[in-house]
Amino acid sequence: MADVNILGIACNWSPYCCYNAAGQAGLALPANFRLLRVMCIGRINQALILRAFEHGADGVIVLECEDADCRYGPGPEVGHTNVARVRQLLRYLGIGQERLVERTFQADQRDAFVAVIHDFAARIADLGPNPANPRQERVA
Amino acid sequence: MELNAPEIKRIIKDCSLYLCQECGKCSASCPRFLSGREYSPRLLAQKLISQPGDRAYIETAIWECLSCGRCEERCPSNVQFTRFIREMRAILAADQGLMGHQAHDGALHSWMRIMTAPELRQDRLDWLTPDLKTDATSEVAFFSGCAPYFDVFFAGLRVDTLRTARDSIRLLNFLEITPQVLANERCCGHDLLWSGDVENFAALARLNHQEFRDRGVKEIVTACPECFQALGAHLSRVAPGSDLKVTFLLDLVEREVKKGGVSFRPFPRRVTYQDPCRLGRMSGRYQGPRDLMALIPGLDLQEMANHRQGSICCGNSAFLGCDAYSKRVQVERLQQARETGAELIVTACPKCLIHTTCALRDPVRGEPWNLEPVGLVSLLAEHIQWSPGETPLRD
Ligand code: SF4
Ligand code: SF4
Repeated sequence: MADVNILGIACNWSPYCCYNAAGQAGLALPANFRLLRVMCIGRINQALILRAFEHGADGVIVLECEDADCRYGPGPEVGHTNVARVRQLLRYLGIGQERLVERTFQADQRDAFVAVIHDFAARIADLGPNPANPRQERVA
Repeated sequence: MELNAPEIKRIIKDCSLYLCQECGKCSASCPRFLSGREYSPRLLAQKLISQPGDRAYIETAIWECLSCGRCEERCPSNVQFTRFIREMRAILAADQGLMGHQAHDGALHSWMRIMTAPELRQDRLDWLTPDLKTDATSEVAFFSGCAPYFDVFFAGLRVDTLRTARDSIRLLNFLEITPQVLANERCCGHDLLWSGDVENFAALARLNHQEFRDRGVKEIVTACPECFQALGAHLSRVAPGSDLKVTFLLDLVEREVKKGGVSFRPFPRRVTYQDPCRLGRMSGRYQGPRDLMALIPGLDLQEMANHRQGSICCGNSAFLGCDAYSKRVQVERLQQARETGAELIVTACPKCLIHTTCALRDPVRGEPWNLEPVGLVSLLAEHIQWSPGETPLRD
């Protein structure tokens, strides 16, 4: 597998339930996958996603609850807006918008969750390292 | 580094801080201080010289300044306060990793640093509409700066930063200049420079220098006073051998219009003008924009109480430290604009446009302001015409 870094930004509720259940069941996730848990996707902003790329992420997947399931209100919609804008910024930057995606989950979709992460990791491995390679900020 | 280290003593000397008479004129004219913030340029100068052990005060205060330069206008000792702030920030950033409080959680600084990647191949020109004439072999390039990025990032504010970019090219085309627009120009680095990140500023400057060279660019035209300052005054310090000519678009328009044959369609509206700090106090251009507005028939320019050298900042600079006090500066400024009876607040800087729009669109404000911000470039591009009987030279 190409030497790439994948970051998941996950809501604490449904997506993290899936992640936790996968761990309990001993289902493997890609070794190059890191998870950042936030209480709600409503907490993220464009800066958080950009910073991941600035610090060497090659792909970022935003893991959300379904709109109607948000415990707080507009969380997933905040996710949609931010992902849409950062995808456009990534396109301008030449990093490519396909390196940022969002996926929604219900709490009991453990297997789908695992499949989505593997699928995304494989697609980023195919794309290879982030071409902008902001190595000034990248810790070896 | 201790704050009495020789390097800091050098900055104090070079920026004439030792000449400070403690008259307090700087603090009395500082918009941060006047908005109620516990920040005083006079006290900062005094502390650094006589109590360098008070690191807590000094290291906080260095990041408070808007670098608007209003204090410098009034200082009887010619203290170079903004240069002092810029150089001190570079030291605090390199030495301790301090970066101030970056607005928008640092998103803009993030993309600016991402642009230091030498392999970057941007895809940033989708805003060029078919009516805009460009030529990849031209020796003149229009530098669009961060406009495409701002347009996406600030989509929620409904501030059309690309309108200025398109209207700039329209103006150039009208004046029979067909510029190239570089697909891979980087940010000018202004905000990194003023945030103390000189290393990444220099990286951007060198990459831009290389790009201009590779694309045969001899002259850069920009509509942004910050790009004008960063590329014009600072690029050559870090990219030796650069003989780049940097032109501010409004200077060019003024020069061409004075040749005659051009007039403007009437625009019978009352407007006021926000002097951008990088254009006014830092580049000495107060009259040019006003002369251009005076050419538009019917346009009634009413000055705000504080204008020209005494103009007040739009509230933020280099996307650092935006807070409740910035908002007070902005509300005060918009109040002045409203008192002129103007319907439009004209400015010549994309950042002034963004910050003014942000303040005007504040969802929790009470009554509507009945003011709209507009870029001077757009106002000119939308009204310029050949005078009756005059035709373009080549058509
Ligand atoms: S205005 Fe100049 S001389 Fe007066 S206190 Fe400020 S820095 Fe010192
Ligand atoms: S540059 Fe502006 S914000 Fe900074 S101390 Fe001077 S007046 Fe105040």
